[in-house]
Amino acid sequence: MANGHIHGAHSIDRLAYESGMRTWNPVFKTVLAVGTLVLCLAADRPMVSTAVILVLAALQRGKGKLPLRDYLGLMLVPLTFLLLGGVAVACDIALTPVCDWNLRLPWFYLCVSAESIRFAVELVLKALGAVSAMYLLALTTTACELVDVLRRAHLPSLLCELMYLIYRFVFVLLDMYGRMRQAAGARLGWKDFRTSCRSFGGIAGNLFVLSLRRSRVYADAMAARGYDGDLRFLEEEKPVRAAQIIWTGLFWTALLVLAIC
Amino acid sequence: MQPILQAKNLRFCYDFGVPALDGVSLDVHAGERIAVLGPNGAGKSTFFLCLNGVLVPESGQLLLHGKPVDKKARKMLCEQVGIVFQNADDQIIASTVAAEVSFGPMNLRLPRNEVARRVDHALDYMDLQAFRARPPHDLSGGEKKRVSIADILAMESEIILLDEPAASLDPAGEERLEHVLARLSDEGCTLLISTHDMDFAFRWATRVVVFADGKILADGTPQAVFGDAAVLRQAHLRRPLLMEVWDALRTRSLVPLDATCPTTVEGLEQLLGEK
Repeated sequence: MANGHIHGAHSIDRLAYESGMRTWNPVFKTVLAVGTLVLCLAADRPMVSTAVILVLAALQRGKGKLPLRDYLGLMLVPLTFLLLGGVAVACDIALTPVCDWNLRLPWFYLCVSAESIRFAVELVLKALGAVSAMYLLALTTTACELVDVLRRAHLPSLLCELMYLIYRFVFVLLDMYGRMRQAAGARLGWKDFRTSCRSFGGIAGNLFVLSLRRSRVYADAMAARGYDGDLRFLEEEKPVRAAQIIWTGLFWTALLVLAIC
Repeated sequence: MQPILQAKNLRFCYDFGVPALDGVSLDVHAGERIAVLGPNGAGKSTFFLCLNGVLVPESGQLLLHGKPVDKKARKMLCEQVGIVFQNADDQIIASTVAAEVSFGPMNLRLPRNEVARRVDHALDYMDLQAFRARPPHDLSGGEKKRVSIADILAMESEIILLDEPAASLDPAGEERLEHVLARLSDEGCTLLISTHDMDFAFRWATRVVVFADGKILADGTPQAVFGDAAVLRQAHLRRPLLMEVWDALRTRSLVPLDATCPTTVEGLEQLLGEK
């Protein structure tokens, strides 16, 4: 992680904080991502899907200043599942050789037709387009801004506050866990499987007790600053620029044209 | 002069029986710099939480500007008395530094531009502008401490309580902290600091309050409190280094016998120079 390599939620969070598109208005980014997602799914054309994948990758690279390597690495995660799923979709099982290409196996044939391959490729492209659209949001918008967008979309404030606090406490707990892990390691807590199991159990129990205690201290600290049941923060104002709207309009129009032709 | 905050015979008990505060009375005057000393578990933190209104004492009374604080005025207490927690991680809840600092003023229901002004001012004060958009889990311990102080500065309280602010700070961080404390004091802010650093308490405070077993054991000028051997023994405190040096100098008649121990090294140097 130190050299900016990507692994896990921790680094997605960091990428979002470092993204060049972080200064964009979060509501606008949500509209852009969801709109593109809907267009990509509704059009159901490989040309549209490919355009979405390429344009959004270029956007992340160009405006988001996200290293292509990181982006491809993150894309690889869903891509693995999609390719495996795609193979399953493309292949068919039959007792007689009915398709274009048939692989004879002991009791049955594994058959693949040009039609099924095309279908699978289109499906994978469509799914990748959808993933790109969601990454556009996930890699450029911090979790607290997303919660804020949801609040504006009139999600009950109790849920929003819970999400906000859980997000913060994930890092607090990760931090506590990391330190306990190190402390256990310093006392040979991971020397063999049996000891590791015991150490892990101890840490889990301890984490539970500590988080209960911490929650009480947090409640005190919030009350000390006048918290009265309504979690509010000052949001930085991020105005939408006209150019952003125009480019989005052009992009969507182009997608529509591709979908219709 | 009317004290700005008075505690009268406060008693507080946690669930496990032993009273954490057992009849504590203290008058705080405007502009005072009070060091609160005492061993761990003596009731310092509990006392701070009671002064801020987070904990409600079982008996006893709090007076703010001479007016008793009842249930309604508790919110006023939060506003007038800010508290910086010992562990910054126990205090920070927001996901960016600027949002974190805005939490207090937002709770005071101030207009948006006033909140923005206070956040800017607090960030400038603690030299945190460069960090304003950063998430708190990205900051170092010292930076988190600064954020937790900025949190309270943004509330613009008259009285600020700091619970062991220097714990876990490096020497540079401590120096920066003392600088901020001096500036706050110059600006008329009343400060109460609980600490285990006797040297700091001696040179910084105008008044020292010693807690032991939920009671106030001693209350007076640093010279008077640290000069009382019985108090030091009972509260397990150590004499400041400067006083030890002073005594050593005095037994060798290197300083005037009638002079009182200066609170800073500069003061001592000046005295020695005169001689």
